[in-house]
Amino acid sequence: MSRYFRELSVAAVLALMLSALAVFAPSFFSPAPLLSRLASEVPALVVALGMAVVMIGRQIDISVGSIFGLTAVLSGTLLANQVPLPLVLPLAILTGALFGGINGWLVAGLGLPSIVVTLATLVTGRELLSLWQQGRFISLPEGVQWFGLGQTTGQWTLIAVGLLLVTLMAWASRNLAAGRFIYAVGSDPEAARLAGVRPGAVTFGTFVLMGALAGFAAVLNLVQSPQVDPKAGGGLELKAIAAAVIGGVAVTGGRGRLWGVFLGLLLLTTINPALTYLRVEAYWEKAIQGTVILLAVVADRFQGNGGAK
Amino acid sequence: MTPLLQLVSVTKSFGAVRALKGVSFDLKAGEVHALLGENGAGKSTLIKVITGAHRPDAGTMAIAGNAIENLTPTAAQRLGIACIHQQPTLFPDLTVAENIALRLGTTRSFARVNWPANRARTAELLGRIGAAIEPDAEVRSLSMPGQQLVEIACALGAGARIVIMDEPTASLTQKEQHLLFGVVRDLKARGVGVIYISHRLEEIFALADRVTVLRDGESIGTREVHQPSGSGALAGASPSGASPVDAPSGEAPEGQSDRRGACPTIDLTEAELIRLMVGREVAAIYPPSESDPGDVVLSIHNLGCSAGGVKNVTLDIRAGEIVGLAGLVGAGRTELARVLFGLTPADAGQIRLHGQSITVCSPQEAVAHGIAYVPEDRRRHGIILEMPVAENLTMAIHRRLFPGSWLKLKAERHLALDLIRDLGVKAYGPEAPGGSLSGGNQQKVSVARWLATKPKLLILDEPTQGVDVGAKSEIHRIIRRLAKDGLAVLMISSDLPEVLGMSDRIAVMRGGTVVATLPGGTSAHEVMATALGQSAPEAAA
Amino acid sequence: MILAAFLVAEFILFSATGRNFLQPDNLTNIVRHSTEIGLLALVMMPVILTGGIDLSVGSLLGLCAVLFGKMVQDAGLSPGAAAAVTLLVGGIAGGFNALLITRLRLPPLIVTLGTFSLFRGLAEAITKGTATYSKFPDSFLALGSATFLGLPTQAWVFVAVAGVIWILVHRTTFGRSWRAIGFSPEGARYAGLPVERRLAFAYVMAGVVAALAAIILTARVTQARADAGTGYELLAITAVVLGGTSIFGGTGSVHGTLLGVAAIAVLTNGLSRIPSIMGVSRELSGVLTGALLIAALAGGVLMKFLSERRARRQTSATPSTPSNA
Repeated sequence: MSRYFRELSVAAVLALMLSALAVFAPSFFSPAPLLSRLASEVPALVVALGMAVVMIGRQIDISVGSIFGLTAVLSGTLLANQVPLPLVLPLAILTGALFGGINGWLVAGLGLPSIVVTLATLVTGRELLSLWQQGRFISLPEGVQWFGLGQTTGQWTLIAVGLLLVTLMAWASRNLAAGRFIYAVGSDPEAARLAGVRPGAVTFGTFVLMGALAGFAAVLNLVQSPQVDPKAGGGLELKAIAAAVIGGVAVTGGRGRLWGVFLGLLLLTTINPALTYLRVEAYWEKAIQGTVILLAVVADRFQGNGGAK
Repeated sequence: MTPLLQLVSVTKSFGAVRALKGVSFDLKAGEVHALLGENGAGKSTLIKVITGAHRPDAGTMAIAGNAIENLTPTAAQRLGIACIHQQPTLFPDLTVAENIALRLGTTRSFARVNWPANRARTAELLGRIGAAIEPDAEVRSLSMPGQQLVEIACALGAGARIVIMDEPTASLTQKEQHLLFGVVRDLKARGVGVIYISHRLEEIFALADRVTVLRDGESIGTREVHQPSGSGALAGASPSGASPVDAPSGEAPEGQSDRRGACPTIDLTEAELIRLMVGREVAAIYPPSESDPGDVVLSIHNLGCSAGGVKNVTLDIRAGEIVGLAGLVGAGRTELARVLFGLTPADAGQIRLHGQSITVCSPQEAVAHGIAYVPEDRRRHGIILEMPVAENLTMAIHRRLFPGSWLKLKAERHLALDLIRDLGVKAYGPEAPGGSLSGGNQQKVSVARWLATKPKLLILDEPTQGVDVGAKSEIHRIIRRLAKDGLAVLMISSDLPEVLGMSDRIAVMRGGTVVATLPGGTSAHEVMATALGQSAPEAAA
Repeated sequence: MILAAFLVAEFILFSATGRNFLQPDNLTNIVRHSTEIGLLALVMMPVILTGGIDLSVGSLLGLCAVLFGKMVQDAGLSPGAAAAVTLLVGGIAGGFNALLITRLRLPPLIVTLGTFSLFRGLAEAITKGTATYSKFPDSFLALGSATFLGLPTQAWVFVAVAGVIWILVHRTTFGRSWRAIGFSPEGARYAGLPVERRLAFAYVMAGVVAALAAIILTARVTQARADAGTGYELLAITAVVLGGTSIFGGTGSVHGTLLGVAAIAVLTNGLSRIPSIMGVSRELSGVLTGALLIAALAGGVLMKFLSERRARRQTSATPSTPSNA
C-alpha cells in the first residue's frame, strides 16, 4: 500500500533494471561472477544498515571508512600473528564500537554537529592508518580466506550472514523498544524526551552500533582476499549514505526501513554493472551515485512535504 | 472528600511579569472543571505548573491529598496527569500504533514490542473514543483533530486520573466535537477529573460541573454550572454541541436550580461569565486618542490565503487611525498579518495601498511598499538576540542606509542612538546584544526597527505581550504618537482592555475572517461576545 | 588570540627543530602550498557563517581542474579563455547547490554531499579515470611558480580574494545578512532581508572561487588530474573552525580564518622540516589537523558552557529551571 510506496518503487526500478539486463546482457546472471559480486557487497550492506540506523536517529557518520580501514588493518595484523579468527572477530567488533563511542560521545555528549565531528574523525583515522601502514598490504595466513571453507561455500556463507543481519536488524528496529526509540528520537527529540526516552543515550548507542558494524564489515571484507588493503574503506561512507537515502531513509531523521536500505544497496550495486553491460563506461560510477543521492532527496521532498509549501 | 488535585496560592513570575498571582484551584474526581479567561490570563501557565513543565515560585500542590514537590513532566505523567495540547506532541513520522506503543510502552531498551497486542489496544482505545482512525495510519497524514484524538487515546491508555484538555475543540468539526463530548463524559463516569479549557461558552454549559475564571493571573471566582438533569444529559448537550449559536444561553440552567440544593444558587449565564472574564472597566491608563483619520491607506477586499487559513477579509485602515484586531487565538489574526507582510502570500482578493493595487509576495516587497510588521514572537522573529541593538535597528533599512551595500557604521550608530533616545530604549549602548535587554526594551527595539523604515502601515502583533506595566504604557504612548503623526496602525491584541483603550475602530476576527468592525467606544462585552460568536443582543440594542 | 599564540609557538618550535624552516625559500613555499586551501577556506567561511556547509568544494576543484586542462590541451583554448569558462562553470556548479538549498529547502549537508560525489564523478568520467592534462604554456605556469614584486604570483590573487571577502563579510550588508541568517534564519526573514538571495550568493561565490583555486593548483603542480583537491573541503572547514567561526553559524571573522589557514600550513610544512619525522610528516600533519579540529570544536562548546554557567551564577537570585541539556 501507499505506506510502502517508497520501498516498492525502489523494488520496481530494481526489477526493471534486472529485466533489462536479462534481455540485453544475460551474461550478467551467470552464476560465478554474480555470486562473487553479491558476496563482495556484503560488507557494504553491513555498513549501510548501520548508517541507516544513525540517519534514522537524525545524525550522520562519515567516518565509517576510517573505522573500517583501521579495524581491517588491526585484524589483519592480529591474524598474521597467528591469533585465531574466532578471537579476532569479536575484537574487531569491539574496536569498531570503541571508535563509534568516541564519535557518539562528541556528538551526544558535547552536542557537536555529527557531520563535522565525523569528518574530523574520518581524517584523523585515515591519516593514523597511513602513518601506521604506509600503504603496505598485510598478507593473511592460510585458512583465513573464506573462513577456510573454499570459495563458493565462503561466498554463500557471507551472503547468508548479510541476509541474516538484514532480517535481524529489520526485525529489531520494529519489534524491540530500543528500535522504536531511535525512530522517536529521529522524528522529534523533544517529544521523545517527554515520552521518557533519553535522546542522548539513544544517539550515543546508534554511533556505537555503527562502529561495531563497521568493524564487523571489515572482517567480512578481509576474508575475501589473501591480503588486507589498508585503503579498502575509502568512499564507503558515500556508498552507505547513498544506499540509505535511495532506500527511503530521510536525512531529517525518523523515517526509513532497513529492508528498503537493502533494496537501495542492491539497486546501487546493479547500476554500475548494468551500465557496463549496456556499454556505458565505469568511470561514471561516482557521478551516478551523486546524482542518485540528489534525485532521492529531491523526490522525498516532493513526496513527503508536497502540501507544506 | 479530598479533592483529586488541589493548588493553593500558586505564584509564578517570568522576569518582571507575574503570570500567576496566588491562584488556588481544585479538581474533584469525576468532575469536569472548566478554566476560562482571556488570552494571557494565566491559563497556560497554570496548566504548565500542573504538568510539571514550570516550577511555581510559591504555593502548594497536592494530588489526592499528597503534597507534591519538584514536579517534573515525567513524574506528572507517572502520577496520572495527562495533557492534551492544542498542538499535539506526537511523532509525525510514525504510525498511530507506533506512537501509542512509544507513549505507553516500556522504557526498557531490549523489551519486545508486542505488535498484535499493541495494535489491538490502539484499536480499542480509538474505538472507545469513537475515532475512525486506522492504527496503521501515519500521524503526519492525520488532520489536526485526528492527532488530538490520538492524544486522547494515549491519555486514556495511560490510565490518567487527571486529564487536561486545552481548547480541544478549536479545530474539530461538529461531529467530532460531539464525539469528544461523549469521551469527556465517559472519562467523568470513570472517575477521572477533567480540566477543560475552552473559549466556547456553550461547551462549558454542556460539559462542565464548575467553572473557574482567571484574569490577569488571578482567580476571579469559581462557579457551579448546573448541568441539565441526569437522564437528559446527552440530549441536553447535543443541541448546544450541534448548533452553538442558537443555544439560548440564559435559559438552560433555569428550572434545575433545585437539583443541587446545597450550594448557593447563582444562575450562571453567559453574560455573567463574559463579565467575569472582562472584569474591570477600561481604566483611564490609556492615552486619549488625538487622531484625526485621514485618507484610506490600506484597503483590502476579499483577501484570502488558503495556506494561512485566511478568507474573505475586507478591511480599510486610514492614515492616523489605530484599528484594533480582536479575536481569539486561532481566529486568523496573525495569519492575516503574515499575508499582508508577504510571509504567506495571498491567493485571493485585492490589496490596495493608497488606492494602488499591489501584490505582496515576500517581506522584501512588503517593506518596499511601506508595510511594516512587528511580529508576535519577539525572541524568535522580532529581533535577533545575538546581534547588537544597532544592527537590529537598521536591519530593515539596509538598502536606504547603506547604498551600494557598504556599511556606514557611523551613520548607523547615530541613527541607533536617535532611535534609542526617541523610544526610551534602556540599553547600555547601541552595541549591547539584543538578548541582554529586558522584554519591554526588546519590544521597543523591534518597533523602532520598523519605524526606521518610515512605513505607511504599521502592523503590531501583540505589542505588549509579556512586557511589564511600565514599558507597556510607554509602548502605548509611542503607538498613539505614531498615529497622531499620520501612520496607519493595525494592532493585533488579545488584551481586551488594550484593544478597547487604544483602538479608533475594532475589527473582530473569527474563523479566518473579519466578522464585524465595531466603533471605538464599543463595550468589552460586545467585543468578547462577537469574538466568541454570540449575538449579544443586549449590548447591541 | 589563542590561535595567534599557537602560530607563534609553531614558528618558534619549527625554527628550533626544523631544517631551513625560516629560510625565505621555505616561507615562499608555505605560501604557494597553502593558496588553494586558503582560497577554499575563505569562501567556506561565509557559508559556515550562514549556518550551512559546503562539502563539494574539493570535488568541484577537481572537476574544474580537469575541465580547464581539457580545454587548454584538447580544445586548444588559450589559458585566459579557458580560465573564464572554468570560472563560469564553477559559478554554475555553486548555483546548482544554491538552487537545491534555497528553492527546495534541502539541508546543505546532504545536497553538497551529493554534489561532492557528483562533481568528482564527472571529473573521473572526463578523464576516464586515468588521463592527466599537462600541456600548458609556460606563461600560464608562471602563475604557479614565478614571483611578482617579491611575492609568489598566486599570493597576489589570494590577497585580492581575501581582501574582497574580508570587505564583504565585515564592511557590507552581505556579511550582516549572513550573520543574521546564521543566528536566526526566521528572524532574518521577518526583518525583510533577502535570505534566499544572500544564501545563494554565498554558495555561488564558493563555486567560483573553487574554480579559481583549481586554475592556481593546476599552474603550481603543472598538471590537471581528476583527484585534484581530494580532502581539501575538510582542511578548509578545519581552518574556518580553528579561526573561530562557529560551526552553528552567526559568529566568525575572515582574519580568524586566515590565521587558521596559516596555522595549518605552517604545521604541515614545519613537520616536513623536522629530520626525524620527515618521512611521515604528511600523515602526521593530517592526524594533527583532525585532532586540532575536534579540539577546537570541543573547546568552543566548553567555553560556551563555562560562560553560560557564569551567567547563571550571576543571576542566581531567580531559581534556576531544570534542564536536561
